[in-house]
Amino acid sequence: MSTIRTSFRVAGAVGAVGTLVLIATPATAADTATVSVLHAVPDTPVDVYANGERLIDDFQPGTLTDPLQLPAGSYDLALFPADAADGSGTPLLSANGVAVPAGANATVVAHLTADGQPALTPFVNDVSAVPAGQARVTVRHTAAAPAVDVRAGGAVVVPGLENPDEASLTVPAGTVSADVVVAGTDTVAIGPADLALAEGTTNIVYAWGAEGGYQLAVQTISGGHSAPSGVPGGSAGLVDDGALPAPVAALSVIGLVAAGAGALRLARSRG
Amino acid sequence: MRPAVVTTVLGLTLAVAAPTTWALTRPEATAGAPVEQALGAPPSPATPPSAAPEAPLVVARPAAPAVLEQGAAPVRLAVPARGVDAAVDPVGVEEDGQMALPADVDRVGWYRFGPAPGDDGSAVLAGHVDDREQGLGAMAPLRDAAAGDEVLLTDAAGTGTRWRVVSRELLQKQVLPLDLLFAREGPPRLTLITCGGPFLPEFGSYRDNVVVVAEPVR
Repeated sequence: MSTIRTSFRVAGAVGAVGTLVLIATPATAADTATVSVLHAVPDTPVDVYANGERLIDDFQPGTLTDPLQLPAGSYDLALFPADAADGSGTPLLSANGVAVPAGANATVVAHLTADGQPALTPFVNDVSAVPAGQARVTVRHTAAAPAVDVRAGGAVVVPGLENPDEASLTVPAGTVSADVVVAGTDTVAIGPADLALAEGTTNIVYAWGAEGGYQLAVQTISGGHSAPSGVPGGSAGLVDDGALPAPVAALSVIGLVAAGAGALRLARSRG
Repeated sequence: MRPAVVTTVLGLTLAVAAPTTWALTRPEATAGAPVEQALGAPPSPATPPSAAPEAPLVVARPAAPAVLEQGAAPVRLAVPARGVDAAVDPVGVEEDGQMALPADVDRVGWYRFGPAPGDDGSAVLAGHVDDREQGLGAMAPLRDAAAGDEVLLTDAAGTGTRWRVVSRELLQKQVLPLDLLFAREGPPRLTLITCGGPFLPEFGSYRDNVVVVAEPVR
């Protein structure tokens, strides 16, 4: 994985303040970054504040923001209960100095750790192009659960994934039936659910929630398609444009022969 | 004038005129606007400037797994002026990354991963120009397509759409503008592709692609 993640959590009144660094894909000339926010803490609507300003109001569990174009820079993020009057007081969760580099595509996820504590984890999304006909699947474990196996069509495709790790696969586009089982067992924790993997898209699948309410959330990022490498189209040469067709060439040769014969007779008659 | 002179002159005339006439009466390699112009310049990635950095308008949506939406697949292609009338099959890509085409040269493939005809971008329909066993393909007459030719498409629901040819060009396969031909953004275009140009026996294929671009007729 090219992603380096650090997750910070604030439980109760104990405020942990640290630096989250998003390791960006190579920065583009743009001075903005694309950031989405996923709320994956069960049963807790929140307001999200960035640098003291309210960014998202009444953010419901299981919802994902549209991608935000944010100026690159450093952000102090804080989550308050949705019914809080403003962004003062003690947040449920906070992370200060989150570096958002230009050109990055990232998702900040509010979720539970394996042992059920709320956490904010920024993930960098791999949105590079996939080959024609393919789609990318990234699975992220953000649920209050131990290691899991992710299965597609009953076969394990990602073994032993732990919170808050991720794994990526490039697969043929199409619909797959996916489920999540307790690692090394057939005990289904989530699903099965049909995942529609459109060609050329990145599909980030989050396993989230807590015991009794595990769910899947899907973030789809399009624009990672590639064109086919070419268009074949014929094998017989029936419409060959390159060479003179045989009848035309024959006519030309007949003309040359006639001219030669005429010239010969001419030369003889003079001689 | 002596017959020998007449024979010589007529013979030389025939020798020169036959290939010249052939060359002059060949279909033009292009018709209408260049393909790159008809399909538009490749769209540059949009980087919309954010509004107030402190408080952008944020929309949150449920993130539960959703069902895939697909445009209406075309099932029949006709270019009446060229005698083209063929069934259309949805196709993807071959193992080698090239666009897949129906093995039956009488059928045409629609690149199902790209736009459906009428959606934004370039909907690609392609077919074999010929085959050693099957002879000429359904799209062979496209090499003579002219600007203004009408193209008729029928989709799976039986709905017909009309298109008008704006461009035909022979493009070398080596330098095909693939990202443009398979563009998923820009105005709706129908791009018909087959093979043409010189046949290269050592590769068993043609050097060029015949590319025909059509615009929707409202």
